[in-house]
Amino acid sequence: MNETDKKSQKEALKALRVQRKASIERARNAVKEQNKRVKAIVAALKDGAKTVPEIAAATGFSTPETLLYVATLKKYGRVGEGPKDGDYFKYELLESKAGA
Amino acid sequence: MQTHREMNFDALVVGGGIAGLQAALDLADQNFKVAVVEKDASIGGKMIRLSKVFPTLDCASCITTPKMAASAHHENITLFTYCDLKSISRESDTVLAARVVQKPRYVEADKCIGCRQCEYGCPVHVPDPEQGNFSMRKAIYIPFSNAIPQIALMDVENCSLCGKCAKVCPTGAVNYFQQPEELVIRAKTAVLATGFRLTPLDQKPEYGKGKILNVISSLDMERLLAPHGPYQRVLRPSDGKEPDAIAYVQCAGSRDKTLGVSYCSRVCCMYAIKQAMLLSGALPLADITIYYMDIRAFGKGYEQFFQNAKAMGIEFVKAKIAKIEQADNQSVRLRYEDQEGAGAVMEREHDLVVLSLGMVPEWHPEGICPVGCDTDAFIRTPMSRLSPTLTDMEGVFVAGVAAGPKDIVDTIAEAGAAAMEASNYLNKLNKKAAA
Repeated sequence: MNETDKKSQKEALKALRVQRKASIERARNAVKEQNKRVKAIVAALKDGAKTVPEIAAATGFSTPETLLYVATLKKYGRVGEGPKDGDYFKYELLESKAGA
Repeated sequence: MQTHREMNFDALVVGGGIAGLQAALDLADQNFKVAVVEKDASIGGKMIRLSKVFPTLDCASCITTPKMAASAHHENITLFTYCDLKSISRESDTVLAARVVQKPRYVEADKCIGCRQCEYGCPVHVPDPEQGNFSMRKAIYIPFSNAIPQIALMDVENCSLCGKCAKVCPTGAVNYFQQPEELVIRAKTAVLATGFRLTPLDQKPEYGKGKILNVISSLDMERLLAPHGPYQRVLRPSDGKEPDAIAYVQCAGSRDKTLGVSYCSRVCCMYAIKQAMLLSGALPLADITIYYMDIRAFGKGYEQFFQNAKAMGIEFVKAKIAKIEQADNQSVRLRYEDQEGAGAVMEREHDLVVLSLGMVPEWHPEGICPVGCDTDAFIRTPMSRLSPTLTDMEGVFVAGVAAGPKDIVDTIAEAGAAAMEASNYLNKLNKKAAA
């Protein structure tokens, strides 16, 4: 891509950002909230593996929301399943941070 | 619209589920050129989203993926995924014309290599309906792991336009400016294979209107049982507990005039038994109960399958569940009449409750295609006894659940029959043209 193309691409993106202002704003706010939740769950797991109710108690999030995030972090390789504790599985932090 | 393309085929197949793919393959193998138009970003329909199939307990993915791949690689089949069908009309005695809009993926299909770098790089998480909303995907994503084609798409409603996906894409496939494309597909015949969706989970007020924790649909359970499911094991969605007691509520969306679904959906008994058997394997200590009105095990090997389930220790309780309520500890309370006992009102609690919801048509042709529908809203088959795939529009045939509830075996058999009718119709047209 030459300089002129780069410039026109930048201008077009700027116009697109104006056009999609409302959805972009919503998505940015969602990312901020999601990052807070991910950070809190990761912080809770730094003390060691925990079950979903234990993570929820440590973070103050509801258990359904906590499981939703834990399942997502597991999907993208940031959290792994640990040993079972009663009826619940414990989850632990993994080294890889791919995609989460 | 950015562009407009017109194409000619022998046959148009509407729907890329198992019925559509089987019809397309049977026609393509007879050397007819076939276009398959699918609304989703992947072919495979409901079947590719299932865990296993009854009564053989074959892995659904293992038997669907080869048909998907065969369709994708067949020289006579062209797939049009992520498309909206706007209309099908008769243009002349021998030609049907379909107006289709190719929705923008915001990813160039010919450049995307399905590496998922865009998905890993995207910072926005979105609940994933492909996983029953039990886990999240990203705002740019591959629909699911065995999707065909493996092409990413962007959910612009949830995109923050941060530019990370374009930055990490190794082939420069991300295109934020992609526009819908209008296609006109002309064909001599068409097969409608538009499938079904389940009745809504929140339809019945006495079943909690979808607001009770740990009440899920049967397709949600398919995801929990699937190897690529949201938890890769069966957990209850409210808190990750491995359930000790699971219940199935039969006829939760069928045989119920209050829902406008007075017919039997035909597959719910068998899929509930199948799921119960799979749960017995996954959770050997769990108590599994099926609350049923009557068991309809009509197909080959189905009665034996039901007897096997009973022998495995799955409990069958003859009852129509009257009420579902939230109980303590995120359990679910079911209230029913003890029909086989003294007729008393009983209450039992379970960790997880699955509603065996009914089948309703996924697509309504009104205003799009002049084929008629029956009072149950499925496509009318005026010669249902002798030629069950004929519609009331000449040259247009129907296959699978689009014509009425049926299982996978009957769907595949009917798709073959629809392909044969379409093939005969094409041969007649060709002979007429040659004469």
